Amino acid sequence: MKGALGFGGVTLGFMAAALGVVTMAVGIHRRDGRIMATGRQFVFMVLLGAVVAAGAMEWALVTHDFSIAYVVRNHARATPMLYTVAALWGALEGSILLWGLVLAGYLAVMVHRLRARASEPLVAWATLVGLIVAAFFFALMLGPANPFKPTGGLIPQDGLGPNPLLQNHVLMAIHPPMLYLGYVGMTIPFAFAVAALITGRVGEGWLLETRRATLVAWAFLSTGIILGAWWSYEVLGWGGYWAWDPVENASFIPWLTATAFLHSVVVQERRGMLRVWNLSLIMATFCLTILGTFLTRSGVLNSVHAFSESTIGAWFLSFLGLAAATGIGLIAWRGDRLRTPGRIDSPVSREGAFLANNLLFAAFAFVVLLGTVFPLLVEALRDEKLSVGEPYFDRMTVPIGLALLFFMAVAPALPWRAASGEVLRRRLGVPAWVGALTMAACAVLGARGVAQIVAFGLGAFAVAGIVRQYVLGVGATRRADPDIGWRRALPRTVAGNRRLYGGLVVHVGVVVIAIALAASMGYTKKREFRVVEGEQVTLQSHRFTYLGIKQHETGQKTTIQARVRVERDGKELGVYAPALSIFPNAPGGAAIGTPSVRTGVLRDVYLTLVASPGEDGRITLGVQLSPLVVWLWIGGGIIVCGTAIAVWPARRARRRADPGADAAEPPPRPVPSADEETLQEAPV
Amino acid sequence: MIRRIVPPLALAAVVVVALVIGGAGRDRGPRSPAAKTQAIAEDLRCPVCQGLSVADSHSPTAESMREDIRRRVDAGESAASIKAHYVGSYGEWVLLRPEATGVGVLVWVLPVGALLLAAGGLALAFRRWRRQPAMAATEEDRALVEAALANQRNEPA
Repeated sequence: MKGALGFGGVTLGFMAAALGVVTMAVGIHRRDGRIMATGRQFVFMVLLGAVVAAGAMEWALVTHDFSIAYVVRNHARATPMLYTVAALWGALEGSILLWGLVLAGYLAVMVHRLRARASEPLVAWATLVGLIVAAFFFALMLGPANPFKPTGGLIPQDGLGPNPLLQNHVLMAIHPPMLYLGYVGMTIPFAFAVAALITGRVGEGWLLETRRATLVAWAFLSTGIILGAWWSYEVLGWGGYWAWDPVENASFIPWLTATAFLHSVVVQERRGMLRVWNLSLIMATFCLTILGTFLTRSGVLNSVHAFSESTIGAWFLSFLGLAAATGIGLIAWRGDRLRTPGRIDSPVSREGAFLANNLLFAAFAFVVLLGTVFPLLVEALRDEKLSVGEPYFDRMTVPIGLALLFFMAVAPALPWRAASGEVLRRRLGVPAWVGALTMAACAVLGARGVAQIVAFGLGAFAVAGIVRQYVLGVGATRRADPDIGWRRALPRTVAGNRRLYGGLVVHVGVVVIAIALAASMGYTKKREFRVVEGEQVTLQSHRFTYLGIKQHETGQKTTIQARVRVERDGKELGVYAPALSIFPNAPGGAAIGTPSVRTGVLRDVYLTLVASPGEDGRITLGVQLSPLVVWLWIGGGIIVCGTAIAVWPARRARRRADPGADAAEPPPRPVPSADEETLQEAPV
Repeated sequence: MIRRIVPPLALAAVVVVALVIGGAGRDRGPRSPAAKTQAIAEDLRCPVCQGLSVADSHSPTAESMREDIRRRVDAGESAASIKAHYVGSYGEWVLLRPEATGVGVLVWVLPVGALLLAAGGLALAFRRWRRQPAMAATEEDRALVEAALANQRNEPA
């Protein structure tokens, strides 16, 4: 019954998307606004279908409806509620369903916000493109990835339960939806880019239309990637957070191109240049999300995340080919309109820095993409097996990352057009000295490693520049209105240029992450100890005492916990319990290690139970001291806050535009500036 | 003149000194056998894991490989020879950092080549931009703007 309801939802979604495409096409062809308005309504039908289908799936999961094959494979009666709900995105078919739901949601928000302008060619075409993408995903669910396929033969009393790795941590319930909100959100700017090319309105209109959507999707994607790293760190137990696993890369590559896009659009908004480049970047981002889904879900890779295998690969590859061909073909077709007469006067300018930024982001994306697909290509073409792993990615990406950090420190201070030596000295002198002295201080205090010291120095350089811009901005606000204190001046300054000040906060988050990466990559200490009960071992200033073992069984798994007391410099930090869980139901009786992490401001103590007690009663205890890891997650939080500042709707501006607004209230003053510097565009 | 040159030079000097101090500590003296073992283990793939290196993996296979590497390091075998031994038993696949020979060279050369090509293209573009005179409004453009402005004034919004 739930299966039929769900399949009905999927069918409704597909029919509505297909009818919507046809209606929009007819409406656009006849230039009939009424038909287009009708076509627009189909988006809400798609959303209804997706909600019904996803709801039916959750209902089936919660009520243990094992007549649906997906429920049998991804749910068991003993599965806790949280992981029951999360099972919706635990495997291929369910994640396509989630994709469809998120896409329908984005499209509905889009057509609702633009409801007054549904018959404008740009908006109409964008809606049409969005509906085509939706039709593809619903078609997948009708055919090769049907989430509601009935169980063949006898209906079992219990299911297999989710993959053991997926029912071990709360983050599993949050990380995938975040990632999907990011991935799928890139469809909106893609749809507008295609619409801009088709209608020939290749100016700045489509960029302004999608600016907020792109930033929101980018923030979700960033959050998803960081939560994925956190999950990997807390669950997988190898002590790291990023393994350059192909599936991690699949989410990271579109993030890189999207980040490049967020920066290069500023040049187009300001100077009208880089049209082809911006269109290419957003099309590439969309294609890379499809490629990522192909890599993750077709089983083409052998990796931690490729939980499923199916024949869906061909569908995704065809769709990828279609999207790429559409993009390249349209850009070639519109080539003459895309040429712009502008020029960039000097490489030492804001535009020049944006170009360098884009070059580096593109190179970064290319390296990660090449390293990810190279083994596949070599195996497919030459039947050889080789690996491209962490040492390769570290060697190639660390220099690019440091160069990006440098431009992040310099670029926001550069003026447009051209910078004189005098301007550079005035704006960058103090921040550069802060950076250099930080490097010297780090080296004198015992920091080692060139890459680490450069990262710390550039981080300090960038943050000093950001502080300088905030101080200048707040100072200008206060000069204009001497009565207010900095506490009121700060929000007013930020509200005056949300993109600039929000973007600078995002940069602070990036610096925090860069420093945490440098420290944890360079200075982590790890060892394994074979210990008997009561034995003490030490690593640096930490002492570990193995107190004993605890074993308990639940329906799903047997868990063995080793209790370990941790002390630093003689002071007790607590008793931690790294564990091994054995899932007898899972294929192969998988044993999953659960690390126990003491999170600290300066360092994490990361304990793993590598091997349960052998015949001699010894366990193998993995001990790791990783500096500053917690700042990776904090940096992620700062990035989200900064993006929120940047996309927050500017209420004041709207009220000012309305002369009928409360007359008693004095009109808010425009934020004045100390020099042209505070009027600069946002760094993102 | 001197006041202009001295501060950047002093800045550069501080940076260089910091890097020399910070970089020197790393390579002073012969590396310990444990560090050598770790470095080799990081470059080898754990054959039974999913994409983890021998250094990162807790699997028994990786553990015995680490012990074997340590034995070989203690016996004075070179890193290249130890890796070659593992390539002999598992194939090229066991190397996480592909060799810069054969087809593997592409994965190193392509990104560097692409970056150089793009940077060269940008340099060419800047040269062309510099030669091209800055755009200036012609009389025609001015007339067009004037007309548009006049139009707007006549039509109250």
